[in-house]
Amino acid sequence: MSDEIKRERFERLVLPHMDAAHNLACWLMRNEAQAEEVVQESFLRAFRFFEALRGDDARPWLLGIVRNTCYTLLERERQSAARDEFDEESHDEDAIAPGAVLSFPVNPETALIESAERELVRACLRALPAEYREVVVLREINDCSYKEIAAIAEIPIGTVMSRLARGRRLLERALSERMQRKDTGT
Amino acid sequence: MNCRDAVRLLNGYVDAELDAAGALAVEDHLQACARCRAHHASLRAVQTAVRRNAEFHSAPAALRERLQARYGHGGARGAAKLRSWFVAAPGLAALLLALWLGFGNIADRPNDPAQMRAKVVFQISQSGSASTALRNLANHLEASPDATVVVVAHNDGVDFLLSGARDESGQLFEPAVMKLKSRGVDFRVCGNTLTRRRIDTARIIPAATLVPSGVAEISRLQTREGYAYLRL
Repeated sequence: MSDEIKRERFERLVLPHMDAAHNLACWLMRNEAQAEEVVQESFLRAFRFFEALRGDDARPWLLGIVRNTCYTLLERERQSAARDEFDEESHDEDAIAPGAVLSFPVNPETALIESAERELVRACLRALPAEYREVVVLREINDCSYKEIAAIAEIPIGTVMSRLARGRRLLERALSERMQRKDTGT
Repeated sequence: MNCRDAVRLLNGYVDAELDAAGALAVEDHLQACARCRAHHASLRAVQTAVRRNAEFHSAPAALRERLQARYGHGGARGAAKLRSWFVAAPGLAALLLALWLGFGNIADRPNDPAQMRAKVVFQISQSGSASTALRNLANHLEASPDATVVVVAHNDGVDFLLSGARDESGQLFEPAVMKLKSRGVDFRVCGNTLTRRRIDTARIIPAATLVPSGVAEISRLQTREGYAYLRL
């Protein structure tokens, strides 16, 4: 493929999915600055390995690259945090990455004051373990089909369905617990 | 179908991923079983809560420009930049519309009444954007009472036109819709969306009308009737 043709094809097939890529990266990294870094790195990889794309539907392929890039970065962070003797929290899988800038308040008191439901739902989704969070985000926010999610996360379709089921159950429990806490004012 | 099978298939049902036979079998079971009905209702509630509240993070304009410059082909750069502005700044889109509506009345030829009126079709495809959209619409009509405005709702955007639908603060949408309708705003609902999401047409509030396809309606208004198109 000549460079000219490659660029034309890349622009037509891959660049339109920039928003989808950024959205997935934000929800997996839970940090916008890192999400940007992930998207740039993912596009670099996608461009380098563009010949590996089969067919014209680049979205699942690109999102698969984004997902892998996120997990590589998170794993690298986890390892460097594990070396840090002061960082107790990093042993908790769902601890927010060090230096993460939160785009919304996680403090339930603040969440109560304004748009309580919105903050609650976002906080609960962010707190979901990554394997469930990724399928829920891909399904509900990126609007992917089960087949696409299976391709992106490299799991069978049956697993997509069971992870969605478990993820939604966890969300439901977390939401109803927090709503109750809110109602009783504790 | 027993409860175990139903529970196993319920997520696929909620996501419209089952084939027709599977979906019908689940529906039959739901008719008969109150426990699975409750389970189904809570699944739907979680789904609605996430879709309504969890935001889609569009790429920031600066990142978009960087990627476009590095991997783009050149020609479409200007268009992408414009698009990114609309994505990044819905307020700007509203402002441009207000300006356009305002100037439209002055700039158009005064002898042709059809030309004097600005015609705009708004697309609403996400349930979370409905209240902002209605607020913007009301403001625009304030500024330009002569504008002909059509709202086409599809995908999750149809939610606010179902009877009993409420906004984030718990207010019913219907009175606001009826008020806009009385000022000439036409609300149209995508029939394909209702079929796909298995929503009974009886649930659509009387102020809205049904069209076969939302997307086809938008392109018809744009190409045949000269409407400007805005996505909210």
